[in-house]
Amino acid sequence: MIPARMAPHEARVSGCYAELDAVEVALFVTCLTDTFFPRVGEAVVRVLRHFGCRVEFPEGQTCCGQPAFNSGFDAEAAALARRMIPVFEPYEQVVTPSASCATMVKTHFPELLADEARWREAAARLAAKTYEFTTFLREKLDVDIGAHLSFDEPVTFHFPCHAREAYGPDDLHNWLAGGKQADLCVPEHSDLCCGFGGLFAVDYPEISGPMLADRLEDLAASGARLVICNEGGCTLSLAGGAHRRGLPLRFKHVAECLAESLGLMEPER
Amino acid sequence: MNADRSEPRASARAAMAAFIDALRRRLRDFESRASLPQELEQTVRQVVASDDLPTRFTQAATSVGLEVHPASPTDWMDLIGDILRKHDAHSVVVQLDTDSPLGKRAATELGNRLTADGFAPTTALDDETLFSADAAITSVAAAIAETGTIVCTSGPGLARGASLLPPVHVAIVQTSQLVPDQCDYFDQLAGQAGLPANINLITGPSKTADIEGILVTGVHGPRHVHVVLVSP
Amino acid sequence: MSTPTAFRQRVCEAVADERVVRAVHLATWHKMEARAESMRQLRDPEAIRELAAQIKQHTLENLPHYLEQFVAQVERSGGCVHFAADADTARRIICDIAAAHGTKLAVKAKSMTSEEIHLNDALEAAGVRTVETDLGEFIVQIDHDRPSHIVTPIIHKDRQQIARALVRETGCEYTEDAEELTAIARRYLRDIFRRCDLGITGVNFGVAESGTLCICTNEGNGRMSSTRPRVHVALMGIEKLVPRLRDLPVFLKLLARSSTGQPLTVYTTLVTGPKRVDDPDGPEELHVVLLDNGRSELLTGEFAEVLRCIRCGACLNACPVYRNIGGHAYGSVYPGPIGSLVTPLLQGLDEHAELPRASSLCGACQVVCPVKIDIPGLLVRLRVRTRRSQPLLKRAAIRLWKWMMKSPTRYAWVQWCLSRLLPDCRDGWSRGGPGPLGAWTHCRDLPIPPKQSFRKLWRERLSDER
Repeated sequence: MIPARMAPHEARVSGCYAELDAVEVALFVTCLTDTFFPRVGEAVVRVLRHFGCRVEFPEGQTCCGQPAFNSGFDAEAAALARRMIPVFEPYEQVVTPSASCATMVKTHFPELLADEARWREAAARLAAKTYEFTTFLREKLDVDIGAHLSFDEPVTFHFPCHAREAYGPDDLHNWLAGGKQADLCVPEHSDLCCGFGGLFAVDYPEISGPMLADRLEDLAASGARLVICNEGGCTLSLAGGAHRRGLPLRFKHVAECLAESLGLMEPER
Repeated sequence: MNADRSEPRASARAAMAAFIDALRRRLRDFESRASLPQELEQTVRQVVASDDLPTRFTQAATSVGLEVHPASPTDWMDLIGDILRKHDAHSVVVQLDTDSPLGKRAATELGNRLTADGFAPTTALDDETLFSADAAITSVAAAIAETGTIVCTSGPGLARGASLLPPVHVAIVQTSQLVPDQCDYFDQLAGQAGLPANINLITGPSKTADIEGILVTGVHGPRHVHVVLVSP
Repeated sequence: MSTPTAFRQRVCEAVADERVVRAVHLATWHKMEARAESMRQLRDPEAIRELAAQIKQHTLENLPHYLEQFVAQVERSGGCVHFAADADTARRIICDIAAAHGTKLAVKAKSMTSEEIHLNDALEAAGVRTVETDLGEFIVQIDHDRPSHIVTPIIHKDRQQIARALVRETGCEYTEDAEELTAIARRYLRDIFRRCDLGITGVNFGVAESGTLCICTNEGNGRMSSTRPRVHVALMGIEKLVPRLRDLPVFLKLLARSSTGQPLTVYTTLVTGPKRVDDPDGPEELHVVLLDNGRSELLTGEFAEVLRCIRCGACLNACPVYRNIGGHAYGSVYPGPIGSLVTPLLQGLDEHAELPRASSLCGACQVVCPVKIDIPGLLVRLRVRTRRSQPLLKRAAIRLWKWMMKSPTRYAWVQWCLSRLLPDCRDGWSRGGPGPLGAWTHCRDLPIPPKQSFRKLWRERLSDER
């Protein structure tokens, strides 16, 4: 028996492996992470396994439909919601490395399907069991994120706007500051959009560009070269902007930092 | 008032009433969800009665650019003279509410004293006087410790222009007039039978930052506002 | 390629004007810092915002009741209430009041609502010289410019431009000193105040239980305009009501903090009726003009909460889009995030369909809104209403994309294409391309996805590792 108040990763340490597989998690990797940042998906899997989860990857998953939803194409977004819900129906819990996609599932799926009796409850069920990665670690696995991080170079961060539902800029700041040998270089504005905004970046590159420039200026001025950013969309935008400008910035998801700090993955240089 | 203006007034009333009726019909089937919060104070209040109100007031007032001069019942007139001299003020409007805790004779006494000191005090409140005076000395209806606010109202013998038009405003505040928080002042107003036509909560000298964000005082109202804070 | 829209043209001009962009950046960041600092003085800022939102929402949902009460109280205190269903009626009512008093010279305090109905033009056409008395608005007026921020209208101007405008208008000596420039405007406007016969102000809050108008200004233009002239006309949107006097502290503690970071505006003026018999000064007549102009249409719909807005301007200061394009690009009296809602809602979605789309939905506006309007959420709702007017190609592309995403096989095929067919311009990064690719890489490169996607990685390696 695991004592009631024992966290699953403590159980692992104490050797109660039999109970560990009880925490079953389906990974909702998101289309951007799947396509552009597979290493983030790998890190999430390894960290979740490390803390005692059995991870499944339902291969039927594609995109949650957020780009369509944010552009006002409700019907298209709803179609993808109806497709995605059954894919995750069999699992107890769903974890995703993207707070933005988590919000899509948790908040907007139920809104989109509110008038469809057939889907309303299923949408609510999925919403209730879906977690953003760090929220799942903290709330379901009782993991103190900062305590497991260590860095061997100065680090800064980009707070993704859509993470606000899951955690605040201060939380991100505190996790990183709590890491071993952390030399945290706080950007001048701890909470500033990178200019991505889904189709906005494609609709209005004239506006998105200067916004991206503002954010990169902050990050470049922070003094660190390693930027922690937990959102694939933001990273795609920021890394692309940094590459265009020749800025020596590298971007990592906190899951990658955790996996490296815990010795679950080789550090990427 | 002209008699021929009663007709437009009647039609204005009718238009308003018709609109409200139409709005009521529109909202008839609309379910109101937000109730009117009754308990505001515990969320809103920042300063309580047991706080050191003169200190709170002085801190807040100073931080918004009011100059606060602590005074006693025996030296407040001296202080006013010093302030006026500092600004080279000569013609001075004196507007003290006879109902203020300073007492009915305060205005006369202050006037005599200022005359004796070589100033030209006046109690006239006409345009010419208010627009040309170097300074105005007024009583206040209340003062709010939370924000460092002084409250001037209109009323018999109380011109709105006195605290507005001259470039220097000296307000005499008795510590007994201090209320802790805005909540207290508005509660007081709500309990009052009939409000003055004009109440001004004054929190600092007239200011602007319209030009490149640079703070400049004395745009339309007084550039210098002094508070003589009289403790018993 | 179609010709760029007027909005896009304005945006391109705005982002290219480095001086203005820099000025707006500095000013908005400065105000955001001041706001944050002053909000910390409140015991529980979150709870006060919640209260403010609830009071406003309640008032809106019960507007007929509170309007009736307000009207009765204004009349009891000796004021006259007029109702204007639209901008045209409001202009006519105010011009009639001016004509009835033979007004030649009117002064105006800062009022967004009067901008909304383009009041000055109407008064000028009726032969009434109307002088703006807020310093910023005055500069805008004499320089034949437009305000670019709802609180600080000349956020886009530098002092050289301001100095030149003042020299031209007043014949003063050229100076770039902000104090001297202000003093010049003060002297000039003092003369106007002495001679004017009508004063026009906006209203920040109308108190239903007492018929009191609450007008907040820092310079004193609201006080001057409601004190000096014989007639005071107060123009207010019907949504400006609050039920009780004791509701005012809730809003006053938020308004100036959100706006400029002050604990309270310098002058918070409470007007209850015209001058009383024994008052030495003050206006003999008070006219309150209540403006609908599309507001009541919104009351029962999904956009009702925009009517909670108290016009503090915090969302403009917080918005990274506003910071980069400034106020003029929006092409409307109300710029910024709230403007992107209010403008299409009050003035027509067709002409302003682009505004709700010109946002990254970052939500910085929502974080600072004192009445907790879900600005990004409502922007999305407005986008829903304009989806049909989106370019055919875009609609088709979204439908095609949806079809691709509906099948894991097609989805994997898209991944395969991206990882193999994107042109490699430099060490694994792509640039340029048709349509969305070109737009995306306008200001950033696109990494070419690794050939091994996560799902391949899972299948090949990760799923079996334990």
